[in-house]
Amino acid sequence: MTGARVLDTIRDRWYVVIPVAVVVGGVLIPLVYLLLRAFQADPATLWDLVVRGRTLRLLGNTVGLTVGVLVGTSVLALPLAWLTTRTALLGRRLLTLLGVLPLAVPGYVMAYALMATTGEYGTLAQTLGLVVPRLSGYVGAWIALSLSTFPYLFLNLRTAFLGLDPSLEESAQALGRGRWRVFVQVVLPQLRPAFLSGGLLVALHVLGDFGVVSLMRYDTFSYALYIQYAASYDRIYAACLALMLLVLTGAILLLEARLLKGLLFHRTESGAGRTAAQYRLGPWRWAGYAFAAGVAGLSVLLPAGTVGYWMADSTASGLPWASLGAALWDSVSASAPAAVLAALLALPVAYLGVRHPSNWTRVVERVAYLGYATPPLAFALALIVFSLGAVPFAYQTLGLLVMAYALHFMAEAVGPVRSALYQAPPHLEEAARSLGRSPLGAFVSVTFPLVRRGLLVSMAFVFLSAMKELPLTFLLAPIGFETLALNTWSYAEEAMFGQAAPYALTIMFVSALFVGVLLLRERATEHPASAERA
Amino acid sequence: MTRLFSLSLIATLVLSLLGCGGEQQDELVIYSGRSKALVDPLLEQYEGEVNVEVRYGSDAELLAALQEEGDQSPADVFWANTTGALGNAVNNDLLTELPDELMEQSARFAPTNQRWLPVTTRFRVLAYNSDTVSPEDLPDSVLDLPEHEEFEGRIGWTPAYSSFQDFVTALRVTEGEETARTWLTDMQALNPNSYSSNTPMIQALDAGEIDVGLTNHYYVLRLRYGDAKVDDEGSIDPEASVATHPFQEEDIGNLALVTGAGVLQTSDQSEAAREFLRFLMSDEAQSFAAETLNEYPLRPGAEVPEYMMPVDEALALSPDFDFERLQEMDPTLDLLRDVGAL
Repeated sequence: MTGARVLDTIRDRWYVVIPVAVVVGGVLIPLVYLLLRAFQADPATLWDLVVRGRTLRLLGNTVGLTVGVLVGTSVLALPLAWLTTRTALLGRRLLTLLGVLPLAVPGYVMAYALMATTGEYGTLAQTLGLVVPRLSGYVGAWIALSLSTFPYLFLNLRTAFLGLDPSLEESAQALGRGRWRVFVQVVLPQLRPAFLSGGLLVALHVLGDFGVVSLMRYDTFSYALYIQYAASYDRIYAACLALMLLVLTGAILLLEARLLKGLLFHRTESGAGRTAAQYRLGPWRWAGYAFAAGVAGLSVLLPAGTVGYWMADSTASGLPWASLGAALWDSVSASAPAAVLAALLALPVAYLGVRHPSNWTRVVERVAYLGYATPPLAFALALIVFSLGAVPFAYQTLGLLVMAYALHFMAEAVGPVRSALYQAPPHLEEAARSLGRSPLGAFVSVTFPLVRRGLLVSMAFVFLSAMKELPLTFLLAPIGFETLALNTWSYAEEAMFGQAAPYALTIMFVSALFVGVLLLRERATEHPASAERA
Repeated sequence: MTRLFSLSLIATLVLSLLGCGGEQQDELVIYSGRSKALVDPLLEQYEGEVNVEVRYGSDAELLAALQEEGDQSPADVFWANTTGALGNAVNNDLLTELPDELMEQSARFAPTNQRWLPVTTRFRVLAYNSDTVSPEDLPDSVLDLPEHEEFEGRIGWTPAYSSFQDFVTALRVTEGEETARTWLTDMQALNPNSYSSNTPMIQALDAGEIDVGLTNHYYVLRLRYGDAKVDDEGSIDPEASVATHPFQEEDIGNLALVTGAGVLQTSDQSEAAREFLRFLMSDEAQSFAAETLNEYPLRPGAEVPEYMMPVDEALALSPDFDFERLQEMDPTLDLLRDVGAL
């Protein structure tokens, strides 16, 4: 390609080129920073630190926990996604909301709640006389992380279920397959992209988790990394550990890319698309309700109840309304724009990957995930160096914080959009172009409405994550900026749970509200779409 | 409706990207490793008089940020939880020398380089569950703790936490490398539970997961007396079955750990910054530290609540130790890694 042609492409396709450049730049900056810091290390010491039995044990622990949580989240998410989309169960919308809300619970709050419930002196023992060992170690981390991350998988699967083309199932049934075999042979394989993108987020979340593993006392890479930063004030060896974590992430991304290759799930026949029929469960519906209630009870009501108990137990007089209000405003004013920005950045990245699959578009898509896997503390330090060097006026502004959130959490936004794009038939867009629309026009009028549901899920993910974020906020927020999460963590860390409770409850409440609004929008987008199709 | 929704979102986005940044010239910027939960009420009092902005974080996060910011740092004061962090800031030449007049206000632990001011102190203790353990059964010296095999699997410690590492450094410096290594190895043989920080450890102690734990004194007091501020111990009903056991006088297990603050080289308001340090040594701030945080004030003559051990007694328990040597962290970390505690 000549230089002039490249310039032409950039001018014509600015709406793809600019976001992609931002994404790639935003991920490369931390990577370059980590490499620079790592190369400052003394090679001999570094070698001793990296090559020792403990590194191998950390690797084993980290991989073991990741695999365990992937299984755990699948067991929770798949039935729940099916129940809320393919059955006539009452209150499906409420169940969906409850299935998303665990994302509003900070990991350490989930861990504290589980630890307060179990053990000789735990709530279970005191109320029901049921003594189970106090949760800790692998089992504790596994339960806490499965409960707090399954929504990533649940929402991806749900989007996929809603977009399934029923004609395939009907054909299989017409050819004499029973319901169960149709599910295993026809439905499950079509859920693979959703499984992969949801599972990827779960895996990356486990790799980066600090809150849960530190409280459950289970040694993983990110825990060791945190100790390195905190214990020895050492940015250099910490950078080396961060790079090791990124290599591990790279391996997972390669694996996912291999599994995803050559998938195509949009409808190919002509005629109108429909939504699949819903099963009536008969007496089995009670099992469905019981399962959903159990999951919601453990993942939402237990932590919310524990926090409520902290608040009731506190002798602190009254609620700190002024501080709550200020913290709420700060949290929302950073998280909401970040959610929108992340979704806007994710759209072209996912679009390139799905519609123009080539080696380099795949690389761009994977690069977005590396940002998510970069330890937030390293990410924040890199942005300090970058912003002070390149755009000093932006340092410690809200704009930089929003940008940091969006770049760091963008991986969460790519998956849902990608799943939706896989199901949007490209020939519709081609038809629009043949009728004289520009590429951008065709996309906006034809494909965009079909991926809107995915975009809403993307925004929900990023918003919920940003509301809980700590290290980026600590280091990049404008001075004096106080989010709900900063307050919750600060009080909980000093064992002042009574004072932490109002902030934690506000995070959960506002997140529930935000997700609720998004789900309402989803309903609004469903109806006109079905009307158009009819 | 949709359009309105999208427009308002985009407007918010643009506004926030333009940002409300920019530090005002006259405000004092404090980087505080001391958590907001602890010091916010005190700073609110001070904010009434001076225009103050605070960035909270852990000591390590703020130190890393200060180093990456370099000359462009907006910070004026570094207020830290640990001597180690302050020593690290001195080594990296981040702090300016303080005038004698200021250093004299806190002579007890003052560093000879005069780069930071000691503000309060805390003490290492052995905490125990008072339902399951009787204080007579506990050792006189922390060095004898590994002999108590009855605590196998029932001891808590925090190898990744700065105050525990400070204790190990002091142990290494005063008793020698070999004694420290033996102590750590023998402790490891008792299969202790490692907690990420003191709060979850004290919770575990109260929940009966462990019987004893090596911690700092104020965590126990805060859990035991909670928010109830009562002058007379007789009338306090402890909220938790956790108590502290001091070792014998001058035992390394009673080590004093000093918090402090310094003025940064990058400060464009060094007079205001020194004024803030003076405020930290004021009656108001020192009694806040004692009554609300249950830490020991360093201003001579300051009082502590009745349920705390009196200042002189507590100081007498602590060993005489050149605590500038707490900066020698690297051999400690190597040791902890060698014995498999980190």
